[in-house]
Amino acid sequence: MATAKQISEGGVAASTRKGKAWKGLSKVPTGIAGLDLVLGGGLPAGRVTLIHGGAGSGKTIMSLQCLLHGAGAGKPGILLMFEERAAAVRQNAWSRGWDLARLEKKNKLYLMDARLDPEAVISGDFSIKGILAVLDDRIKALRAKLIVIDAVDALLHLYDNPMRERHELYALHEWLLDRGLTAIMTVKTVSQQESPSRYAFLDFMADCVIHVDQRVTAQIATRRLRVIKYRGSGYGRNEYPFIIDENGINIIPITSNVLQHRPPGPKVSSGQAGLDEVLAGGYKCGTSILIAGTAGAGKTTLACVFTRAACLRGERILYLNFEESAESLVSNMLSPGLALQPLIKTGTLVVRSYLPEAMGVEEHLFHALKDLEGLRPQHVVVDAISACKRMGSEQAAFEYLMRLLNACKERGITCIYINQTSGLDIAQEISGIGISSIIDTIILLRQLPIGGAITRQLIVMKSRGSKHSEQFHEFRITDRGIDLGKA
Amino acid sequence: MKARKRQRGKSANPGGDSYVFRLFVAGNESNSSQARGNLARICEKHIKGRYKIDAVDVLKDAAAAHKNNVLVTPTLILVRPLPRVMLLGNLNDTRRVLAALRLIGDKG
Repeated sequence: MATAKQISEGGVAASTRKGKAWKGLSKVPTGIAGLDLVLGGGLPAGRVTLIHGGAGSGKTIMSLQCLLHGAGAGKPGILLMFEERAAAVRQNAWSRGWDLARLEKKNKLYLMDARLDPEAVISGDFSIKGILAVLDDRIKALRAKLIVIDAVDALLHLYDNPMRERHELYALHEWLLDRGLTAIMTVKTVSQQESPSRYAFLDFMADCVIHVDQRVTAQIATRRLRVIKYRGSGYGRNEYPFIIDENGINIIPITSNVLQHRPPGPKVSSGQAGLDEVLAGGYKCGTSILIAGTAGAGKTTLACVFTRAACLRGERILYLNFEESAESLVSNMLSPGLALQPLIKTGTLVVRSYLPEAMGVEEHLFHALKDLEGLRPQHVVVDAISACKRMGSEQAAFEYLMRLLNACKERGITCIYINQTSGLDIAQEISGIGISSIIDTIILLRQLPIGGAITRQLIVMKSRGSKHSEQFHEFRITDRGIDLGKA
Repeated sequence: MKARKRQRGKSANPGGDSYVFRLFVAGNESNSSQARGNLARICEKHIKGRYKIDAVDVLKDAAAAHKNNVLVTPTLILVRPLPRVMLLGNLNDTRRVLAALRLIGDKG
């Protein structure tokens, strides 16, 4: 994982170089790990942060997470809502396992329903002093340090006059600063527009501006976040994909700018003595292996031969299956005599089956990385990378495989990628989605019709940092695994 | 409540006040003062002797503002007769106020 220093360039890196934190600007962690990395520690304390984005882009959840984190860290907070009902927010939070009512009872959180009577009649000018008076009262009662003003645009909408809107917002800003509150304001934007043009001045007013959005490409939605500005602090300047799951917002900062791959480990058996000989000892731990071939060439079988052998040695395998369910894999592998069920039972083999088109790259990646962290496998099998194109596009598949590979290499995990080729032009295809240059070992399987029967052949096309046979080797799939003969 | 001032129409109606208003203001800010004046003028002209105004200063009684869902000042609530009506602003637009309070057509 990248460190804050790598993610946020400039200011933060410079400031931490001397081992000193920023003087004057202290930060309030949001509690969203990836976001704190991007923000170089958190939101600016005692200042106003603006979060804008379209409907359903995650503004409220992000704000709520900050409040929950604050409440847990001894910083009570207030959520002022101009659009949603407090009861609905409580209920939605509950479905994520966040018990707001309990925090409210303990005076760590206050939900303030500030929806305006839609039938109220407006006659003449007014100010937002009423709400500020009520807030002052609550802030004192809670000793609140954080405040979220959700959908501030709904309040501003009351004014039919842009000048008045602006004036009241500046007044609100001053009021927040006077009280030393760390504040978040959320504002809706229209569809693809990044900045809410009507409220563009908000971007200038706030000290930190975060934009969140949700885009759909090739029918798959991806959420992204970008920090537009952060006065007095360095920050990650890229667009960061994130997902919202039952725990809230999860951001996977894209890449560290430094390759931190671990050197390859020792060789381990491929599970088949003949293949070990061809590979001069087996697969190297912590490297990447591509098994390519046409349908029925024996790719999955070859990977499962290794899987079984590794699991029996006590090494854990994470098998990411984009083609079939765990049950179907288990049953199919019974034919070549590879019993996987007992390995699944003991937990040494973990098979995760995903429909590639069910989620975007980010979500797939999030699940994979969660398992890398949680299960700490020694090896990962991806069956098959050709199916990953269905995550959206070839580019999406490339991103997924590349980032998964990086994550594995940083952890010294062996990565076995299976790629199905169509067989027309194998040399062109074996690499699979342009990742061949970062693959350490390539094994190609092919089937040739010889003398009225199919002959299976295997060749090692490349094996970085290791000797290997350069010949085609015939092999058979028997009911006891793979049988690899001499060249 | 300390912060509330009661202002009654000069000739008290023995049958009770038929119009009850609650006016939320923020100290003596200009919009609030204007609203006070405008409301008093409208009442004197249209419902003289039949009204009661409870003025609430939100700076002194935030709880009352909260309870009545008052977000901006000034806010006028017509408590009686029902249905309840909420008006925002300094009440400068007399015709609009009269219409909202259902007083239009009431002699003049």
